[in-house]
Amino acid sequence: MAASEAAHGEHHASAGVDNRLLLMWIFLASECLFFGSLISTYLIFKGESLVRPLPDDLFDIPLTSTSTFVLLISSFTMVLAVHGAQHALPKMMKLSLLATILLGLVFLGFQVYEFRTFGQEGLNLSTNQFGASFFVLTGFHGTHVGVGVLYLSSMLFGSMRRNGLGKDVGTHLEIAGLYWHFVDIVWIVIFTVIYLIP
Amino acid sequence: MASNAHAAEESHGSPLGPKQYIQITIGLGIITAVELAVSYAGLATAVFVPILIILSGVKFAVVVALFMHLRFESRLFTQMFLFGLVLASAILISLLAVFWNDPSDALGGGELPPLEGHGAAHQLFLGAPDQL
Repeated sequence: MAASEAAHGEHHASAGVDNRLLLMWIFLASECLFFGSLISTYLIFKGESLVRPLPDDLFDIPLTSTSTFVLLISSFTMVLAVHGAQHALPKMMKLSLLATILLGLVFLGFQVYEFRTFGQEGLNLSTNQFGASFFVLTGFHGTHVGVGVLYLSSMLFGSMRRNGLGKDVGTHLEIAGLYWHFVDIVWIVIFTVIYLIP
Repeated sequence: MASNAHAAEESHGSPLGPKQYIQITIGLGIITAVELAVSYAGLATAVFVPILIILSGVKFAVVVALFMHLRFESRLFTQMFLFGLVLASAILISLLAVFWNDPSDALGGGELPPLEGHGAAHQLFLGAPDQL
């Protein structure tokens, strides 16, 4: 019992919480500042463009809404993966992780398609201030999704090893889930502020 | 098997199950659909922008509280996340207050003739060659 407590205690701070979870929440708080600055920059610059194309010329709301629903569903599958990991349901965990990875890839596919379409319409990083701030903001978000896909893939492959993800599988998946859900909530803000509000 | 049993013991105390998660996801989907409907409804900007911001805030809060389990976790996590969120909001509000429709900005003044092409834009930002 004492040995078990020692094994559990090695990741716990004096505040009585898991250090790894605390670190992830602090990281996500810093990410709020990062994306807050990028969104502010976009809002300031989007009306300052001298040349077209402008947002109204390009945005395809039905397409972006579909990718928004895809990311929303991926949050659902992610929370199921965490539930499976924390309740000793490895099959649910693995299938849900796989679904989350695939949905993340679908979202990235939508973003690549959107970027290509915008490029064909004449918008790139150096076209105008809207293009610069838009591509930087959504590009960084897409990069976060890509990192999330790699992160979850490593979790999935790790869970397929003989020893799985070890005794802390619930915590490992919960931390990965926090990252993935954060990517989702950033998109919730981006979708409303950038796409829906003119 | 032993690790599975251990994982079950490690459960972090979220009382929600798959059924509740499905209900939450459907709710989030409905809110997103309402957002779309509002954006296409042709309402005045002063009406629909606050509605969209409120709906977006609700979605944000639901995901953080229920999917990220912040509601069921230590208050320390909530304080940490809120600290970053409040600071980010303060940065956003401050930057917008300083730069939004800045009258000292030549572009905001509306005195410049319409320009086209990258060269024209570049020249406007950097100044004419004799001014450099």
